[in-house]
Amino acid sequence: MGNEAIARGVVESGIYVVTGYPGTPSSEVIMTLQRFGKDLDMYVEWAVNEKVAFELALGASIGGARSLVTMKAPGVNIASDPILSAAYCGVDGALVMLVADDPGPITTQTEQDDRWFSKLAKLPTITPSNPQEAKDYVKVAAMLSEKLQLPVILRTTTRVNHTVGDVVLGATEPPRKFKGFKRDPPRFVRAGMRWNLERHKWLNKQLEKVEDILNELGISINEAHGDGDVCVVTEGVTYNYVTEALNLLGVKEGTRVLKVGQLYPPPKEFLKKGLRGCRKVVVVEELDPYLEETVKALLYDEGINVDIHGKHDSLLPKEGELNILMVAKALSRVIGAPLPKTLQVSRETPALPPRPPPLCPGCPHRASYIAILKGISKAGFRRDEVPIFGDIGCYALSVEPPLNAIWTEHSMGASISMAAGMKLGGKDKPVIATIGDSTFFHSGIPALLEAVHKRVNMLVVILDNTVVAMTGHQSTPSWSVTETGRKVKPVLLEDVVKALGVDNLAVIDPFDVDDMANVVAQYLRKPGVNVIIARAPCALMKVRAEGVKTVYRVDPEACIGCMACIRGTGCPAMYINENGKAAIIEEDCTGCGLCAYFCPQDAIKKVRLK
Amino acid sequence: MSREIKEVFNILIASVGGQGGLTLSRTIAIAAVNEGHSVRTGETLGMSQRFGSVTSFVRIGPQNVVMSPTFSEGMGHVMVGLELTESVRNLRYLSEDGKILAADIVKPPITASLGTARMLSKDELVSALTSVDPEAVIVPARKIAYDIGNPRAVNMVMLGVFNRIFGILSDDAVVNAILTLLPGRRGETSVEAYKAGIKWAEENKAV
Repeated sequence: MGNEAIARGVVESGIYVVTGYPGTPSSEVIMTLQRFGKDLDMYVEWAVNEKVAFELALGASIGGARSLVTMKAPGVNIASDPILSAAYCGVDGALVMLVADDPGPITTQTEQDDRWFSKLAKLPTITPSNPQEAKDYVKVAAMLSEKLQLPVILRTTTRVNHTVGDVVLGATEPPRKFKGFKRDPPRFVRAGMRWNLERHKWLNKQLEKVEDILNELGISINEAHGDGDVCVVTEGVTYNYVTEALNLLGVKEGTRVLKVGQLYPPPKEFLKKGLRGCRKVVVVEELDPYLEETVKALLYDEGINVDIHGKHDSLLPKEGELNILMVAKALSRVIGAPLPKTLQVSRETPALPPRPPPLCPGCPHRASYIAILKGISKAGFRRDEVPIFGDIGCYALSVEPPLNAIWTEHSMGASISMAAGMKLGGKDKPVIATIGDSTFFHSGIPALLEAVHKRVNMLVVILDNTVVAMTGHQSTPSWSVTETGRKVKPVLLEDVVKALGVDNLAVIDPFDVDDMANVVAQYLRKPGVNVIIARAPCALMKVRAEGVKTVYRVDPEACIGCMACIRGTGCPAMYINENGKAAIIEEDCTGCGLCAYFCPQDAIKKVRLK
Repeated sequence: MSREIKEVFNILIASVGGQGGLTLSRTIAIAAVNEGHSVRTGETLGMSQRFGSVTSFVRIGPQNVVMSPTFSEGMGHVMVGLELTESVRNLRYLSEDGKILAADIVKPPITASLGTARMLSKDELVSALTSVDPEAVIVPARKIAYDIGNPRAVNMVMLGVFNRIFGILSDDAVVNAILTLLPGRRGETSVEAYKAGIKWAEENKAV
């Protein structure tokens, strides 16, 4: 996998500190390294959020250690403050920042194109197109970082991070740890405006050196085939689509392909040389017309006026990911080569029920939201007058039927601040914020502090499944041992919440649905910031650790087919059988018993497995 | 049993999250790399939760020919389906003469159980498959997996059927890949399931 290749690149680059915050598609880099535990003699741990992670890496690197920090696209937004200043102070040991964007989007809230961020932060950025390059470019980035004394961004997209491919390994290098740190205020203190102006000049000088260093390493490749006058400029995973599309169209001969590995600053000399003599230019890239605008500006400066196709003329879409067929169609239009017949297959597929990812069988979040919805009614409110603010995590899936629970899901920690904002904006009926434990640690703490300090009346439910579940079960600050086996100090949620000065706090097992609903009802009527910690472990994690000991079975004689169980839970282990009765797929059931809670006939029975 | 692959061979694996579609794609990928082929895989899935639609692409071929991690509609040479609804959902990826191997398992999505969408019957699903590939191989994979005592090994049963029919990889390479990916007892029962799939394919003249 691309991320495993990046992990290997870390070991081959002598990197010592590896940190980040989990987020698909970047998570497996750290998870891969953590599997080797203490054997690697490296610090490989998750941080509480991306800003802290970047600052940890920066601190290590200004002391001469080599570091890597990983995050998904929105994580860059959280970390952006220290990143922009890091371009001014620079580093001593390499600092490589893995930024994983997600065209599609396959698992991300926006299709943020972080190539613009490189331009904003003025940090050198390179991009791989396959797992082999993903590994090799970690080394290139580390080398470039130390040569220029600047953090370097390795920008990937999901189709590189998550692609499995054959990779040739290189030699490992011993990790580079702390060397020394000298007091140097003009570099490290951003309070001096004259210093800042000087460092900005320094930064711009460093950026001028990037292309010469990278061109020697062949990071950008000019693949000229014959004397054609069509030139395709591409980067990252799209280079693969371009190559296969040209082969399919039979026009590889006669087409020049410029594969850009250096994204920022743009490789001007490479592009100028490569574009010389072209009559038509096609820029193939995912998301925004970043390269296209670069190429246009460059050709304008050179006084060259040729047709440039890409996003601006709608040859390719500005949204979503590309694939071989889309690129083949686009190139066939520009080049005039017909699409092969084999690619013109169109099939009628019968209409099928969609299968969006649901909450898992046994998921404690299902129980929590059922209790919250019941609590709203018990307190005497209608569901449509008490908004439930959601946050980033598995529990956002509660938006789907039958729960139809959350009203918003915006950004890390925003459930609490947005709910508070609505109250401050004058809403008289109650508001509820729901947030996962890891998201609370990540960005919810300052939001809760704000709500307490400003005396906002609200209910906050912290859905504590004791793990970062959605991204693959990473540790949270409440763990006492990390993935690498390091003993750490567990930070308890209730201690943090109490210390923030909330008015009422209850810790409840959400599977006691009625108890939790009663507390919800009571807290909705009490003034102040009231917090419920709904604590039960992630069902997937629990099953992996303990196995399944009990399951539930429907007694077909007793079941009257009312479907209260399915309509109440939406549990994916349940279905309606050919006789119109409820049924449970036994190997999917984890024995939570919520279906039995809803059954008016007592037709769903607990069965102990042998 | 391994053979030279001159062109790209595109395999699509259609499954429901939790059925082991990704493990299956990785097993094929590892075995193919160990046999000296070049490989790319791509997958389209939701988050790490279970029970959503999962589509995996596996591409095997010579170096510098297999490049893209995914392939497009009409490019799939074979589809291995672990569930019938998902098999039908992904038919558009099959080429004109694409082959279908599908487990006869139906997992109704929760949208169907809630009555918000109409579910097709098993017969309707199977006939949708045979209308594209009249020789579609429908495998009683759940029963085979149950009989060897590992109901979760449907993916490995299908791997056995697939490799017996297409013979792309040597059995040794597949078994080693399974044991690399799934150490311990799970690996052993997975190898049994793989062999049970081969046996079924032979006994039912699917070869």
